[in-house]
Amino acid sequence: MLSLIVVLPFLSALFLGGLYLSRPQLQNSFIYTAVGIASPAISAILSFVVLLRMFADGNTVYETLFQWIDIGSFQIAVAFMADRLSVVMISFITLIGTLIHIYAAGYMRGDPCYGKFFSYFNLFMGSMLLLVLADNPVMMFVGWELVGLSSYLLIGFYHQDHANITAANKAFILNRVGDFGFIIAIALLFVSLEGSGFTFDAIAANISTLSTEQLTLIGLLLFVGAMGKSAQIPLYVWLPDAMAGPTPVSALIHAATMVTAGVYMVARYSFLYVEIPDVGLFIAYIGAASALFAALMATFESDIKKILAYSTMSQLGYMFIAVGLGAYSSGIFHVFTHAFFKALLFMGAGAVIIALHHEQNIFKMGALKKALPVVYVSMFIATLAISGIPPFAGFFSKDAILMAAFSSEHYDIWAVGLFTAFLTAFYMFRLLFSVFFAEGSKERTLQELPGSMTRPMLFLALGSATVGFLGLNEAFGGHSWFQHFLSLPDVVHEVSHSQEYMLAALSVAVALMGMGLSYRMFAHNPQAAKSDQWLKTLIIKKFYVDELYDVMLVKPLLLLSRLIATVIDPKIVDALIMGLSKSYLLMGRGFARLQTGRVGDYALQILIGVSLMSTYILFKLGMM
Amino acid sequence: MTPEPFFFLAALLFSIALVGVVSRRNLFVIYMSIELMLTSTSLVLVIFSKVLGSADGSVMALLMIAVIAAEAALFLAMIIHLYRRNRTLDSEMCDELKQEANNA
Amino acid sequence: MLELSLFVILALFIVGGAVATITNRQPLFSAFGFLVSMLAMAGVFGLLENQFLALAQIMVSVGAVVVLNILSIMTVNAKEENLPQEPYKYRWILLSGVLVSPVTFLIYKSMSMAYQHFSTLETVNTKVMGETLFSAWVLPFEIVSILLLSAMVGAIVIARKKDVIAKETR
Repeated sequence: MLSLIVVLPFLSALFLGGLYLSRPQLQNSFIYTAVGIASPAISAILSFVVLLRMFADGNTVYETLFQWIDIGSFQIAVAFMADRLSVVMISFITLIGTLIHIYAAGYMRGDPCYGKFFSYFNLFMGSMLLLVLADNPVMMFVGWELVGLSSYLLIGFYHQDHANITAANKAFILNRVGDFGFIIAIALLFVSLEGSGFTFDAIAANISTLSTEQLTLIGLLLFVGAMGKSAQIPLYVWLPDAMAGPTPVSALIHAATMVTAGVYMVARYSFLYVEIPDVGLFIAYIGAASALFAALMATFESDIKKILAYSTMSQLGYMFIAVGLGAYSSGIFHVFTHAFFKALLFMGAGAVIIALHHEQNIFKMGALKKALPVVYVSMFIATLAISGIPPFAGFFSKDAILMAAFSSEHYDIWAVGLFTAFLTAFYMFRLLFSVFFAEGSKERTLQELPGSMTRPMLFLALGSATVGFLGLNEAFGGHSWFQHFLSLPDVVHEVSHSQEYMLAALSVAVALMGMGLSYRMFAHNPQAAKSDQWLKTLIIKKFYVDELYDVMLVKPLLLLSRLIATVIDPKIVDALIMGLSKSYLLMGRGFARLQTGRVGDYALQILIGVSLMSTYILFKLGMM
Repeated sequence: MTPEPFFFLAALLFSIALVGVVSRRNLFVIYMSIELMLTSTSLVLVIFSKVLGSADGSVMALLMIAVIAAEAALFLAMIIHLYRRNRTLDSEMCDELKQEANNA
Repeated sequence: MLELSLFVILALFIVGGAVATITNRQPLFSAFGFLVSMLAMAGVFGLLENQFLALAQIMVSVGAVVVLNILSIMTVNAKEENLPQEPYKYRWILLSGVLVSPVTFLIYKSMSMAYQHFSTLETVNTKVMGETLFSAWVLPFEIVSILLLSAMVGAIVIARKKDVIAKETR
């Protein structure tokens, strides 16, 4: 069953790709839609079956497909493991993935590369499921790489435009940097475990044999991988550029797959991170910095998709705060709720973009409240959810994270988180008000939105409104059911209920403040921020990070490449090798002189050889 | 009498013949030098036959004489053939196997 | 003492003949040196108490090979200008003589180190040789007969004039 969940999207990706290549005239055919949606849908159904079984008996499910590597103690099987964490992950990944597939069928209608798109999309799903269900770090790495590959393919989907290719390359290369850390961490882990099994269970059982130094190094390197995949400082710059892909791709990357992989990975290695709270704290600080940083950039951004991209980065920062401070289940809970409202936000953004004929600047939209009621309502719910207004989903998960930060007495992180919550509410409502409330031009015609686009949005709106109750904690009358089900090795700090109420009230108040401020500024006459102060300029220019990377890394690298290409390679390496080959040629010419074709000369050569050998033997035998 | 002078004679004859093969260019001289080398080998066989008191070496020498005869027939036929073709007895004219200078 | 003096005389003839063979410009003179050398070699075989081989040497090497050789030289009848020009002949001989000397020394040393004395078991007379030839060595004997036959055929084919071959294959 597990292998079917993983293999099915791959098979359909292969089938669709083959079909697309062999029958290019088959555009927008029904078969693409049917197969492309059916495979994640079946995976979703199977995932829920596994989930229900898990409810019934609570046992971890294992399934081995075949033995892949068998070298002494290095045994890697293509095996899948569904414990509580991965079952929860695949359940919402497949569910939201399926909805995004349905949405994409509407969004991509009429695109000449419709079949290719669904092939890549299914590949993306399959890769993510492989990553989540992997039984050992090596298989996880395979999924990890495949996710990077398919994101590359999808970001550069409109490959006719050079900028998109650049964006895809950027995403791929930055992910490489992260993967570098990841693969070294895996290798270190394997070496330091000294061959006592390399499945997650075996590693968890033997983790105590490792020294703290080893664990710290491995944990840090793993987190480098997570930085790349989950777009944290300093490897985040690919995320806004990744908006070059079609909007459903952004929805899939930001909601169900890819960026959550880093958080999932840290949660998956929670047995390791529990041992090294210092690294966890480092992760939390990186998360907090990323959250604040991204929120600041989102505040002055005017591209609708880039705002959402920065908000994803900001929310991922929250998740890393949680997993860094040991509140793994809260982090995963935020991944879960975030998937719903972020998918919904991207779908809404995509719907608006489609309706306005590919306009992405929020200040050129406006007054869409009446024209797109379904989009408006669902986007409103999603905005409330992400801003942390109760009783929507985001409130509960964000509150749990802030509570974890507060109760573990890291008040600096807590303050940053709270401030970010204020910014989140501000920039999200800025988006909402600018797009739907503000006055817009009257003489525009809106494109019709197909039902396949709006219906998944309604479903997700329902989810965004309600899934938060799954993790309702004791202070609000629930039992933290979601967190208990995951049963991760959380670090728990007790807080009194009154403190919890106060914190919750504070974060709601902050969110409402952000909302109110944004209403005053943007509800009627929104203006793009002017770069009249140096601080504003700094933020609008995104802290010049791209330029900084360009000057610090890209330019020197190009310079070095040019140096190697023009000086070192032709003048030194080539010269050496060519010189070597030339010297062989010269030697050959010299020896060719000896081949005169005259028998007497050959006889003389033989005689010289025999004579020398005889002399040598005579000396050796002591006869001379 | 000891076999040592005989050994020395065989070695000397072989060496003189080898010098002839290497240093001369006349095909007839080369041929005769080769014959001398073969004869010196059969001399060694005969000496060993006597040293060991076994007839095997003598039989080998006998067969060798037959081989010398066969070789003589072929070698002389080839010399005549080459002389007809090149109108010379110079072994340096037979250099068709040499490395051509232009395709080095 | 008689043996030794006989050996010295024969050896001088052999070496002298060989030197005459490799130094003479005219192939016919070389052939006479070769003849002398071969005849003396037959004497050495006789000195080694191997009468049959001495006879065979005279009959085959001298009677057949040398005569054939001289006949070939006469048939070719090379003019002075058809002989190879060898201006540095003696220098070459000297050089290769120097080169060859360690080989000579090695051959002589290695053989004489192994055996210092002649066997006293029995002399190899013609009877014993015949028995050995037709019992243990009968297969090589037959092979040599085939070799001689094929050499004869080969010699005829090689030495035949070209136009004769061309006519027959046409």
